[in-house]
Amino acid sequence: MNTLYVLFSVAGTEYVLPAADVVQMESFSGATPVPGTAPFVAGLVQMRGKVVPVVDLRARFGLPAAEPTIDSRVVVVQVGERTVGLLVDSAREVIRLRLEDLESPPDIVAQDGAGFVSSVARAGQRLVMVIDPSKVVGEEQLDG
Amino acid sequence: MSAVDLKTFITGYLAEVEEHLRMAERNLLEAERVEAAGGSSARQVRALFRSMHTIKGLSAMVGVEPVVDLAHEMEAALRVADRSGTPLGGAVDLLVRGLRAVEARVRALASGEAVPPAPADLIDALAALGLDRLGAEVGDLGLPEDVRSRLGPGETQELAHGLARGRRAVRVDFVPNPSRAASGLNITAVRERLGRLGDLVKVIPMSVPRSPEAPVGLSFAVLMLTGAADAEIAEAAGMPLDAVSSLVGAQPAAAPAALPPPAEDEEEVELRGEVVRVPVARLDDVLDRLSVLVVSRSRIARAVAELASRGVDVGALSHVVQESTRHLRDLRAAIMRARMVSLAELLERVPLIVRGLSRTVGKEIKLDLDAGRAELDKAVGERLFPAVVHLVRNAVDHAIEPADERERAGKPRAGHIRVACHERGQSQLELQVIDDGRGIDQAALARRAGRDEPRDPEELLALLTEVGLSTRDQATTTSGRGVGMDIVKRVAVDQLGGELMVATERGRGTAFTIRVPLSLTIVDAFCFHSGERTYVVPMSMVDEIVELEPDRVHRPPALAGALVGLLDRRGEAIPVVDLEAWFARRPAGGGGRKAILVRRRGRPLAFTVDRMLGKQEVVVRPLEDPLVRVPGVSGTTDLGDGRPTLVLDFLALGGQVRAAQGGP
Repeated sequence: MNTLYVLFSVAGTEYVLPAADVVQMESFSGATPVPGTAPFVAGLVQMRGKVVPVVDLRARFGLPAAEPTIDSRVVVVQVGERTVGLLVDSAREVIRLRLEDLESPPDIVAQDGAGFVSSVARAGQRLVMVIDPSKVVGEEQLDG
Repeated sequence: MSAVDLKTFITGYLAEVEEHLRMAERNLLEAERVEAAGGSSARQVRALFRSMHTIKGLSAMVGVEPVVDLAHEMEAALRVADRSGTPLGGAVDLLVRGLRAVEARVRALASGEAVPPAPADLIDALAALGLDRLGAEVGDLGLPEDVRSRLGPGETQELAHGLARGRRAVRVDFVPNPSRAASGLNITAVRERLGRLGDLVKVIPMSVPRSPEAPVGLSFAVLMLTGAADAEIAEAAGMPLDAVSSLVGAQPAAAPAALPPPAEDEEEVELRGEVVRVPVARLDDVLDRLSVLVVSRSRIARAVAELASRGVDVGALSHVVQESTRHLRDLRAAIMRARMVSLAELLERVPLIVRGLSRTVGKEIKLDLDAGRAELDKAVGERLFPAVVHLVRNAVDHAIEPADERERAGKPRAGHIRVACHERGQSQLELQVIDDGRGIDQAALARRAGRDEPRDPEELLALLTEVGLSTRDQATTTSGRGVGMDIVKRVAVDQLGGELMVATERGRGTAFTIRVPLSLTIVDAFCFHSGERTYVVPMSMVDEIVELEPDRVHRPPALAGALVGLLDRRGEAIPVVDLEAWFARRPAGGGGRKAILVRRRGRPLAFTVDRMLGKQEVVVRPLEDPLVRVPGVSGTTDLGDGRPTLVLDFLALGGQVRAAQGGP
């Protein structure tokens, strides 16, 4: 079984997300910050008339902040009924992983990643971490 | 929807479905009797159809899919029987089985068990009544399994309905590759271009074998409804013509020619005399489109003003702009009217809920429901309803004493709950839930919370609505305060920008009052700059805009946090809050020379602004995602720059500031 994943990088580490969860990718030209939100919420962006909250994955993963560059991308994911953007340093490729490429993350990664990393995979020469988008955006219910 | 809300809804749902089930049983048996006597069962069949339709709708709201499926098939069968006037005959047995199956599932739900799926053979048999020839037969749309399986039921329905309504449903395969990318064709651009030709239903990334044409092994299947021709679509996608294929609707199973043609799109638009029922989503869509017009109108007005400032004669132009302003306002008002629901309709389920509750707790309740003639926006109504249910539920559960206790206190054995509503002015609704129960034992409440006894109704409310406290010991019935008051407050105050008040007297009863705006989607607003950001605040919240003349702002020594001074305004000392400091964006004291003054429960508070930008009509989009739902921000709007601008709720912010200063 081959599945497509979107490959992106955050602070030099490569991660993937199931392509089926990705709605679109856009370049990032700043978000409207919302006071009082969690520190990892970069703010709001408007995409095709829809207002989407953006999670800064550097902040979410506890990594040092960085200024956005022309490579910065917002990877918009659909988690249940929620549409949330993930701000990453770059995202260009779509790769194909086989089920047997996936392994449970080493304990240290599982703990450090607060459950964000659902598995690790070897893609050719590279080791990539598979992100669980629902963990990243939090599992709060709509209207909760 | 939180678990608490859902539980309340389910109580109401169970009561109502139960009633419709009984009615359906009666009508079904009556239909059989009438038909056996050689008469026409048309009346009973219609009533049955309505019951099943209602059960389906309610079940869909609560999300009990097996019941929705069963009710849908029964409704479909009955609809055609109703239209064609055919007797039910042998179908009665099957329909009875259907009702039993619905009942069994509703029971399971009531007792908290897993609801079993609808029996496939029964669904098949109901469908095989062969009567439903609209909608239900979606078929495979001529799509291969790998695409079809990626479509949700709603999307499949959307495509099928589009086809049934005579639109074209097409699939376009877009294959990204470097040469297309070089000419600006990526999936985002293609979506946008195709979006202009029709409605995109779904874009599905598909893996395809790698080839020179598809070097990344990726292709996107775009499914859309459109009126455009294949060539136009292929051109928009930058793909050859054979990348476009038409989807096909289901062939109606041999329909007897005598059957009257079904009304168009009955699933969504139901004609009842002069009334058309339309899903709110469609009205929202119209509003969204209108908001685009409002934005471009503002941009035109700005451009005209700029021309005028350069000395161009804009007389005729500005006349047209003014006219279009008026037309847009009329159009907006017309759409808003279409979104209004009558309060009577919204509250019509309250008696059933009270009935169900009073049976559960074994108390006799007399309910007085006076919904008046008020109408309110659907979005407000949807949020308000759970709050009303909470209040009513609390009154039944906790406030009303058992009959014997009431008798000893010299009260009628039946408890009395009154739900009364009336409009306050043009834009506000006041809704009260009043009981003649035991009243709130404030001392006991304070003891349990480990606090001082509240000194006034405001402190009492603060105590009642403290998160966690009101939901902690649900078993307690003696305080008469009930559960979930924090939720009521969140809805009425935080979400709807309204007010919540309480009055109580030991032994006599309690009254809760909710005041909310009748509608909240489009508002007249002030735009202003603060800390290099633009914000919007609804004019209805603003008391006045004041100059912060330095000699009128006093700075007592004990100032803390974002509080930067006291403005002496006609003898009233008004606390001034540095907005940007409150948002923790900069140290306090850098605020501007103007301030927006708001009054919360009569008490004034001023927020500094750097620069006022003027008045504007804005469309407020509520923030739905939990990541960004924070008190003080009621939504966003687009001022024409394509970026979300925050719509601030100064009343809620004021509440936070007061709380931070240690006051209520």
